[in-house]
Amino acid sequence: MTRIGVYVCHCGLNIAGVVDVEKVAEYAKTLPDVVVSEHYTYMCSEPGQRMIQEGIRNKKLDRIVIATCSPRMHEETFRRAVAEAGLNPYLTEIVNLREQVSWAHTHEPEKATEKAKALVRMGVARSRLLEPLEKRRVSVEKSVLVVGGGIAGIQASLDLANAGFPVYLVEKAPSIGGRMAQLDKTFPTLDCSACILTPKMVDVAKNPNITMLTNAEVTDVKGFVGNYEATILKKPRYVDEKRCVGCELCAQVCPVKVPDRFNENLTQKRAISIYSPHAVPNIAIINPGYCLRLKYNKGVCGKCQEACEAKAINFEQQPETIQVKVGGVVLAVGSEVFNALQMTELGYGRFKNVISNIEFERISDASGPTGGKILSPKNGKTPKTVVFIQCVGSRDKRFHEYCCRVGCMVTLKQAILAREKIHENVKIYVCYIDMRAFGKGYDEFYRRARDMDIDFIAGLPSEIHESPDGSLYFDVYDKGTNKLLQIRTDLVVLGTGLVPNEDLADISALLHASRSADGFLLEAHPKLKPLESAVAGVFLAGACQGPKDIPDTVAQASGAAAKALDLLSHGEIELEPLKAIVDEDLCSGCKICTSICPFLAIEMKTDIIEGKERARAEVIEAVCQGCGLCSSACPTGAIKIQQYNNKQVMTQVEAALAETCAEGGK
Amino acid sequence: MGLSDLMSMAKPNIEARDKILARIGGKELVNCFQCIKCTSGCTALKLLELKPHEIIKLVNLGFVDELPSSDIIWTCVTCLKCVQRCPQKASPYHVIIALRNLAVEKEAKVPEGYLKAVSQILETGQVDTYQKIVTRKMETVDRECLKLPKICPPKESFQVVFMKAMEEKTT
Repeated sequence: MTRIGVYVCHCGLNIAGVVDVEKVAEYAKTLPDVVVSEHYTYMCSEPGQRMIQEGIRNKKLDRIVIATCSPRMHEETFRRAVAEAGLNPYLTEIVNLREQVSWAHTHEPEKATEKAKALVRMGVARSRLLEPLEKRRVSVEKSVLVVGGGIAGIQASLDLANAGFPVYLVEKAPSIGGRMAQLDKTFPTLDCSACILTPKMVDVAKNPNITMLTNAEVTDVKGFVGNYEATILKKPRYVDEKRCVGCELCAQVCPVKVPDRFNENLTQKRAISIYSPHAVPNIAIINPGYCLRLKYNKGVCGKCQEACEAKAINFEQQPETIQVKVGGVVLAVGSEVFNALQMTELGYGRFKNVISNIEFERISDASGPTGGKILSPKNGKTPKTVVFIQCVGSRDKRFHEYCCRVGCMVTLKQAILAREKIHENVKIYVCYIDMRAFGKGYDEFYRRARDMDIDFIAGLPSEIHESPDGSLYFDVYDKGTNKLLQIRTDLVVLGTGLVPNEDLADISALLHASRSADGFLLEAHPKLKPLESAVAGVFLAGACQGPKDIPDTVAQASGAAAKALDLLSHGEIELEPLKAIVDEDLCSGCKICTSICPFLAIEMKTDIIEGKERARAEVIEAVCQGCGLCSSACPTGAIKIQQYNNKQVMTQVEAALAETCAEGGK
Repeated sequence: MGLSDLMSMAKPNIEARDKILARIGGKELVNCFQCIKCTSGCTALKLLELKPHEIIKLVNLGFVDELPSSDIIWTCVTCLKCVQRCPQKASPYHVIIALRNLAVEKEAKVPEGYLKAVSQILETGQVDTYQKIVTRKMETVDRECLKLPKICPPKESFQVVFMKAMEEKTT
C-alpha cells in the first residue's frame, strides 16, 4: 500500500496569486492513497523542506508529489530533502504549477485551478508507479579541452593549468590572442591592450600543462560528461614549428601580396608571414590560397625556401588529426563584429571614409596600418571632424535586436583616443540613442569624454551622403536642442556591435549545445547557471554566450574554469540514473535505435541462440543520457527509459483524461 | 493623478489614443525608443517641420486631442523612409495615415490640396491632369502630338465605386 504525500507550493504569489492552492490541496486529499496533503508559501525554503521530511518520518510516506515550479528549477533541491529523510530521492514527482499553470493562465484563475487539480491528479497517479533508482558513478578524465584562444580561452586555460590539470587549447587562427589582440587601448582605464594581453599569451605558450594547438579546429566530439573524446584537425602551416625562429626573412622575399586579416584587410602582407606583431606562437605560416607553389605547381617560386636559414619551410606538410580524451570542455569561441555592409544607408563599403570601430582600432594601434596615426582612409590626411554613430546592427530589429553591450564604451574610448591623438584641431561628435555606461568606472569615463570637448548628439542620422570632394555629410535631429543639424566630416566611425560567430552553428551541433534566440550559445540558467551549457561538462566563457567586454569575459572565463575544476577535482561523478533498458526478448535487432541515438550509446551484440544468430541492442550505461529517443523510436517497445516507461506515462495520460471532480469525490 | 502637460494643461486622452491604436493594429507600430532616425531623415522636416518621433511619442503618452486638427499630419509626403529605416520596425507613416482618417471622420479642416485631389479623381479618374511639357529643344508637346491614345473620362459607375472604396478604407 503506497502512502502518498502531496505538497502544494504558493511560490509567494507566483502560483497562489492565480491558482487557489488551498482548493488544490483539499482536492488532493480526495485522491486514492494520499495520506498527507498540505500547502505552504515557499516549499523550497527550509521550513517547507522540513514539512516534507516530517511527513516521510512521521506519516511513513513513501511517495512524494510536490506541486511547485518547473523541475528544472528545484527538482534537485527536493530530491536532496527527500533523500535526507531516508526515502529514495527518485520516488519524488514534481508537478509544475508555475510555468505550466499560473504563469500561462494569469487571467483565468478558475480554469487554472482546475488545470492544477488535473496535473496533481496525474502526478499522484504516476507517483504510485515510481521505482527507487540509484545514481551511477563514473570516473572523470582529468583534463580539459578549451575551444578558442581569445582572452576567454587564455584565461580559462591558465586557471586550469595553474591548478595542475592538462589543457588542450585549440585556436582556429595561426596565433592565440583573438579580438583583444587587435585592440589598441581598453576602456575605461586606457590600458594598452597588447601590454596586458601579450604576457598572458606568452604564459600560455610556456605553461607545461597547456598543449596549444593553433591553426586547428575541433572536428568531432564524442562521449559524455567526464569522458569526452575530441578529434582536432591541425591544418598544415607549411612551416616546421620546431625549426622556425620567427625571423620573417621568408616574408621579405615572398612576391605574393594577400589581404592582412589581422589588420581587418586594411593592409596587405605576404603569402608567407607571421599572423600578427605579437603572435604566439611566433611562427610563419603560408596561405595556401595565395602561395604560388602551393596554388599552382611544384616547380615555381620557392623563394622562401631558399631564404629560410633554419630550413623550416615544408611544402609537403599534411593536415594532422589529433585525438584527445578530456573530462570537460570550455567553449570560448568568441563573437564577430557586425558587417556594416548590410546597413546600406550608412554607406559603409561605398564611402571609403566610413569605417567600422574594429577598423578604427587597427588604425589607432601603433602596430596598425598607419603606425597609430588617425588618418582618413580616402586621402590619408588627418581628419578635421570625426563622427561616431552608435548602435549599428544592434538594437535593430532588422539585424540584431539585442544591445551589443560594448559599443557605447568602445565609442567613448575611441573618441577620447581621437582627441588625444589629433589634439584640439579636431571636432568630435557622437550620435547616440542611449549612452550605456553601466560598468565599474564607466560613467566616470563618459564624464571624462565630455570634459575633453567631445560633443554628444542625441539622435541618429537616417543616411550618409558623400560630396564630390570625398567628404561626408548627413542630417541629424538632436533631441537636446530640437534642431536639425547638418554635419560635414571626413571620418565616420560606425559603432558596429558584436554578433554570433559563424562557427557557432557547427560547434553547437558538435556538442549538442543549444543557442538562444539571438544566436549566441545558451547558458543552462540565465541567472543561476551562467557558466554552464545545458550539456553536462560543457562550459561557456566569453562572448560566445552573449556580447561581453573584457572584464566580464575574463570573469566568466575564470568562472567556467572553476566549474570545470569542480568537475575534475572529484575524479568521479554521479550521473542521473535515468537510462534506457533493453528488453532482450522483445528486441528484434532492427538497429533503428543505434541510428537515432545522439550519444552513440547503443551497440548491437550478436548471440547464438538455438543455433541461430540473433542481433540485439545493448545500452552502454555510462554513455546513455536518458533522452528517450530510442524508446519512442523502437517499433517493438523493447527499449524503456527508467522513470518514464510506457506504463508510467500511460497511467498519467489516463489520469489526465479521467473526469475532473470539482468538489471532492473519487 | 497621472500626466499633465503643464504648457497647455492638457491631459492624456487614453480613449482617443486607443482608437488610433486600434486602427494601426495595436502598439507594435508605435513601439519606439526615440533614436530619432525617422526625424533625421524626414523628407518633410526641412520644409514643413514634421517630426515623426514626436507624433509617435504623443500617441504613446496619449496627448492625441490636438493631433487630428493639427496641420502637421498633412505635411507627410509618404516617402516611407521612416518605416524603412526604423530599427524597431515602428511606423510613423501608419500613425499619420490613421490620424488623417480620424481627422476626416471628425470633419476637421482638411488642406485644400487633398480635397482638390479627390475631386480631380472623381471627375477625371486621374490623380493629376495631364499637361503639355516643354522639351530640351524648347518644343511644346502634348499627348496628341506624341500619338498617345486619348484619355477618356471615367464611366459613371466609377464615382460610386470610388466613394464606396473611400468609405471602406476610412472606417
